Amino acid sequence: MKKYLAIFKISFAQEFAYRLNFIMWRLRNVMQIFLIFFLWNAVFTDPTRVVFGYDRGKILTYVFGILIMKAIVLSARTIEVAGEISSGDLTNFLLKPVNYFKYWFSRDLSSKALNLGFAASEALILYLILRPPFFLQTNPWLIVAFVISLAIAVVLFFGLLFLSNLIAFWMPEQGWSAQFLIIVIFTDFLSGGVFPLDIFPLVVQKILYTLPFPYLLFFPLQIYLGKIPVTQVWGGIMIACAWTLILLAGLKFVWNRGIRKYEAVGR
Amino acid sequence: MKNLRKYLKVWWMMSKNSFIQVLINKFGAGVFLTGKILRFVFFMTFIVFLLKGTQNLAGYSLSQTVFFFLTFNLVDIVSQFLFREVYRFRPLIVSGGFDLVLTKPISPLFRSLMGGADILDFITIPPLIVAIVILARGLNPTAISAFFYILLLLNGLLLATAFHIMVISMGIITFEIDHTIMIYRDLTNLGRFPIDIYAQPLRGILTYLIPVGIMITLPAKALMGLVSYQGVLVSLAIGVLALYVAKRFWGIALKRYTSASS
Amino acid sequence: MDKAIVVDHLLKNFEVTEKKPGLVNSFTSIFSPQKKTIRALRNISFTVESGELVGFIGPNGAGKTTTLKVLSGLLYPTSGFTSVLEFDPWDRKPEFLKQISLVMGQKNQLWWDLPAMETFELNRAIYEIPKRQYEETLDELTELLEVKKLLNIQVRRLSLGQRMRLELVAALLHSPKILFLDEPTLGLDLIAQQKMRDFIYEYNRRSGATILLTSHNMDDLMDLARRVIVIDEGRIIFDGALEELVNRFAKEKIIKVSLLREDDIKRIEEIGKVKKLAFPEVILSVPRSTTAVAAAELLQNFPVADLTIEEVPIEEVIRKVFRGEGKKKLLK
Repeated sequence: MKKYLAIFKISFAQEFAYRLNFIMWRLRNVMQIFLIFFLWNAVFTDPTRVVFGYDRGKILTYVFGILIMKAIVLSARTIEVAGEISSGDLTNFLLKPVNYFKYWFSRDLSSKALNLGFAASEALILYLILRPPFFLQTNPWLIVAFVISLAIAVVLFFGLLFLSNLIAFWMPEQGWSAQFLIIVIFTDFLSGGVFPLDIFPLVVQKILYTLPFPYLLFFPLQIYLGKIPVTQVWGGIMIACAWTLILLAGLKFVWNRGIRKYEAVGR
Repeated sequence: MKNLRKYLKVWWMMSKNSFIQVLINKFGAGVFLTGKILRFVFFMTFIVFLLKGTQNLAGYSLSQTVFFFLTFNLVDIVSQFLFREVYRFRPLIVSGGFDLVLTKPISPLFRSLMGGADILDFITIPPLIVAIVILARGLNPTAISAFFYILLLLNGLLLATAFHIMVISMGIITFEIDHTIMIYRDLTNLGRFPIDIYAQPLRGILTYLIPVGIMITLPAKALMGLVSYQGVLVSLAIGVLALYVAKRFWGIALKRYTSASS
Repeated sequence: MDKAIVVDHLLKNFEVTEKKPGLVNSFTSIFSPQKKTIRALRNISFTVESGELVGFIGPNGAGKTTTLKVLSGLLYPTSGFTSVLEFDPWDRKPEFLKQISLVMGQKNQLWWDLPAMETFELNRAIYEIPKRQYEETLDELTELLEVKKLLNIQVRRLSLGQRMRLELVAALLHSPKILFLDEPTLGLDLIAQQKMRDFIYEYNRRSGATILLTSHNMDDLMDLARRVIVIDEGRIIFDGALEELVNRFAKEKIIKVSLLREDDIKRIEEIGKVKKLAFPEVILSVPRSTTAVAAAELLQNFPVADLTIEEVPIEEVIRKVFRGEGKKKLLK
């Protein structure tokens, strides 16, 4: 445990070493929020309007929620795994007495902590400038369910991201491609990161809910906003758990095959 | 005239070369193209369902909103197709390869901006134009507003050119390109929707300082007959001015080039 | 003969922003950057006749490469006059650029993933070389550099030596009148170096092109350059024939003695600095002005079988110049 705390700390410090990159990354996050904030702001100019089950307060809470949730769930350093595999740096780690998964999870947590700190201050500043109405959930059960679903989302994304990196074992030059498709394109849209998924017809929503993506951002936020009936909350959490277990098992399976391949090549 | 022929020929050869390079990595190219198309489809679906639910966006109908979005994509993709080389400018500067660009009897600006046209972007242009034409017909424009649309679209590309020139000029001075180009892209991304939806002072910034509005929103509005003659003239003036300023900036940057790689 | 290059009172300063570590400093440096001026070239003047082959030497950061870069129009001079083939290099007029070429070791213009032939064709279009002339030049160059078989292989699959030779072809296709070579043998193995040198010599002889060369490789200079320009800290401290460099630079001479029998070293050390001692042979270095006295003394007081007086080898002189020891001695 102690060594992973050390990894957490050193990873934190490293992000500061590349602070220009980090600040730019945060700036980009804020600009993306601008787009969706003003889009919904324009849709809900009339404060009494209700569309897709959102009123003005809830949709703008959704937008701010995305900013915070992305920092918690989607901030990760695990994207570097593919690079380590193709460059052969992975070997250095295989020789060390650390668990490779715990190593990256510690680094992810460190990145999440840093990003959350920034995202929170950005959200505060934006709140003070834009003065949107804000929806505060008061039901303690829903808040508990929200926190649980958030924790699951973090592990779920870890599994998904790590797994997509492992393509580098078989196609060392193409490590980025799976990341691009699965993380940049699919995750961003299908997790509700760009727009809430309930603008889709019910059929589409039902299909989406069988995939892992909505459980990353959309589902926890829906719980917070109280848009999911309490009876369905636990069902959803069960599906998220199932996906997490499937992905982690898949990760372990693919990792073992990959490592064998890696060692056979002798990189 | 002879010069133009030479530049066209050189551009064609460089584009051909970068096309061959893309083909070497077929898998990666395929993934990239798929991703781009998917992103487009996702966004399009979003707009369609959003407008089905809300009936209008800041007073624009579904087909008008889609038209804004398609116009954004056209300007975005065409400038990426033409200026893809800008994304490779940093390695060129850092490695010192730019030295060899400067000693060639061909404009280094031309080479740095347009030396690697991206075939993957090119593929998506024709279907996009077809979609725009079909949608534009549905909006029943007059001949004059269709003309203004094309004129302002070209003006938008002029502005995009100016921005790319400024980005690489800053790259020469500061060695920093990747972030600047990303910020530029994030800002233009705000043009996916008509800039009328943004509040002040953001809207002002997007109209005058970083004229995303003039690049994207205004041409589409012109087609809908929502832009006056004066508006067109002012936009063209801003376009020409921006290009002039960018060219001056490029000249200054070259004077400050330190060729520091060795 | 006409002057190919004229440089008069050339100055080049670089403004460098200093970055201090730390978050606070990075922020303050955005608003009030700490500027520092580096004086890369301080008042340089020289001329080069057309057809000459001139070597530039000097320690790292002395200003050799900066000079080449100003002459090829890459850098904007702070002040001073430069004229290359009667053009101002900075204007980078196409007519000027078509007559020069710059080759830098380990910097490439060849497209990495494509065969070199593609780059050559592109250069043909850029330099607007007539087809006949292009074919002849290409044929001649590939023959001379022995790269005919490499033309259709992806550049990335070639060795550094092969690549450098192809880079040369790409740089010479338009038959430049002036060739700037910056460290052309950097990183090459010994055989490849020799091939490169042979080629440069041959090219200069055949085409009559003016060649300016910087190198860290002593063999490059000794084989190629009859005239050298020594630059240190942005100043020219020597300009003349390679042999003359020794006379000017070496303030010492070498005396080689072979003795009949072993003798007291202490006494020999009083005469000069003992550089090598392996009985019966002793090598001494003595100040140029007292060489005769030292020799006489040796002959008088020691059992000398043989005695020769020699100049310090050129290699050693150049090596010292590279180490930056030239300035102190030459300016004395």
